[in-house]
Amino acid sequence: MEDLMKDKIEQLVDYIMKWCLWQFHSRAWDREKQNEGILTKTMQILCEEPVELETPTYRCYWVDAVLLAKGFKSTYPWLAMMEKKDIKLLMKGLKDRIDYLTITGSLNKELSNPLY
Amino acid sequence: MPTSRIPQYNSGDNFGMRLRFLGAKHVIGAPMKDVIHLCHGPVGCTYDTWHTKRYISDNDNFQLKYAWATDMKEKHVVFGAEKLLKQNIIDCFKAFPDIKRMSIYQTCASALIGDDMNAVAKKVMEEMPDVDIFVCNAPGFGGPSQSGGHHKINIAWIDQKVGTFEPEVTSKYVINYVGDYNIQGDAEIMLDYFQRMGIQILSTFTGNGSYDDLRGMHRAQLNVLECARSAEYICNELKKRYGIPRLDIDGFGFEPLSVSLMKVAMFFGLEKEAKAIIDEETARWRPELNWYEKRLKGKKVCLWPGGSKLWHWAHVIEEEIGVKVVSVYSKFGHQGDFEKGVARCSEGALAIDDPNELEGLEAMEMLKPDIILTGVRPGEVVKKARIPYMNIHAYHNGPYKGFEGWVRLARDIYNAIYSPIHQLSGLDISKDERPTDKGFLTRRMISDVDIIEDETTPSSEQPYTGEYDIVSKLRGKIYSSSQKQEKEYIIGVVQGGT
Repeated sequence: MEDLMKDKIEQLVDYIMKWCLWQFHSRAWDREKQNEGILTKTMQILCEEPVELETPTYRCYWVDAVLLAKGFKSTYPWLAMMEKKDIKLLMKGLKDRIDYLTITGSLNKELSNPLY
Repeated sequence: MPTSRIPQYNSGDNFGMRLRFLGAKHVIGAPMKDVIHLCHGPVGCTYDTWHTKRYISDNDNFQLKYAWATDMKEKHVVFGAEKLLKQNIIDCFKAFPDIKRMSIYQTCASALIGDDMNAVAKKVMEEMPDVDIFVCNAPGFGGPSQSGGHHKINIAWIDQKVGTFEPEVTSKYVINYVGDYNIQGDAEIMLDYFQRMGIQILSTFTGNGSYDDLRGMHRAQLNVLECARSAEYICNELKKRYGIPRLDIDGFGFEPLSVSLMKVAMFFGLEKEAKAIIDEETARWRPELNWYEKRLKGKKVCLWPGGSKLWHWAHVIEEEIGVKVVSVYSKFGHQGDFEKGVARCSEGALAIDDPNELEGLEAMEMLKPDIILTGVRPGEVVKKARIPYMNIHAYHNGPYKGFEGWVRLARDIYNAIYSPIHQLSGLDISKDERPTDKGFLTRRMISDVDIIEDETTPSSEQPYTGEYDIVSKLRGKIYSSSQKQEKEYIIGVVQGGT
């Protein structure tokens, strides 16, 4: 069961890495905000929950989230078969994995530069 | 040629793509169209100004037609060149009385002697109140990479100029289009799409960009970022200082471009307008892209650009043009660019960070690519190795952005790979026997050997049918956007996102 979840997470990671740019902002704090903002909103969209668009920045997250959710659904039919509680678990695992790949496990030394 | 014995470092030849001055002036500063770009240094520092980058503009290419330098000599190194600079600035404005804006670029020579260019510029602006001058202190020796120059000029521009001019805002939907240098009209193609949606482009950073428009960047609602390598700094600072969010897009390739247009549209609630453009353009150009894709299937490509095309193209030229990317490299890409590029490559592609010529030659020998997409200087080495090459910095027959532009790229790759010259250039006339009983094979004779016309290759698919110049007709185009100004984009809560 755990392996199946890991496999699904890796498929979603592959999609993000190939088709998205938002996960690769230049500093760690920006990547944290991007990952959190976009993947949370993607989860909300996939689970048909309300999505906050209170600021222009939130709206930017939402734009990327809508297209990501659409891409996930069209590329991975198994997503439609999942229950919402499992989608939440999946997206939590995805967020952890993306955080690792782009922030905590990244060898990019510019991430910690305090200036742009 | 100049008589000075000050070393005439030109900003490219000796340093490849490693000069900070080049990154500041020739890549980012000089595409600004209504500006005198004055180089404070030996006259040789202006060398690369003409024709190395085809960043055209809609004001008769003013910024490409003239090159300005203060022509520093030994005596200025000894006694200082501030007087010379001041006189040059005044002379330039007198010589071009219609131009009231100037950028001054520091060079190694003027930096080493410590000329205070900011003080000179300030003095001139006090004496000539109708002019405005921007000072860029990014001398060549300041760093080992042109990317350092991108950084310098981004920060200098926002520090010195953003917020000093109030632009006229005429739309409810206002963006800065950032990180596009209008190579052969790329930016003008993208602006056409945005304007067809009813979006006002407050400034373009910096291709075909206007100096005063760029001073007013702080009034946009959204920064649409294309080349993050060269221009993410100003977007990040605009976000930090003015709260303007940054949306990264891909202007190359049908699918990434469609998604990108839709992203910008969704930010403003203009999805219907974007969809109409995407549908129209795709229907018009997809069959022609398919024609090339079928003939380029599996051709091996080395994608060796400077920076951002590493990740803008790595996946989509495989997906949509059919070629196989066997290697990527970047001369000045940062770790972040390789993160993006490697993430988008197929398995097995060889990624090389800043290769020298020998490493490039070894890769060619090992990978045996059918074509190499790179810049003009490594391109000369490639040609000597008898491998087809395309200039993807200044382009061959661009623009390559946009739907039609992407077909033009496929057309140029096709023309390069199947050019008959490769049959002839392989013959050594001093020893090889030259066939006299047959002519060379044309492109179609080679490329169409395995093409069978059936339902998967319909006759409606054909080579590129567009015009030679697809940019000039966009200039002066009238956009009817008034009906779209009634919409307010939503700030609040939506259910399920869509």
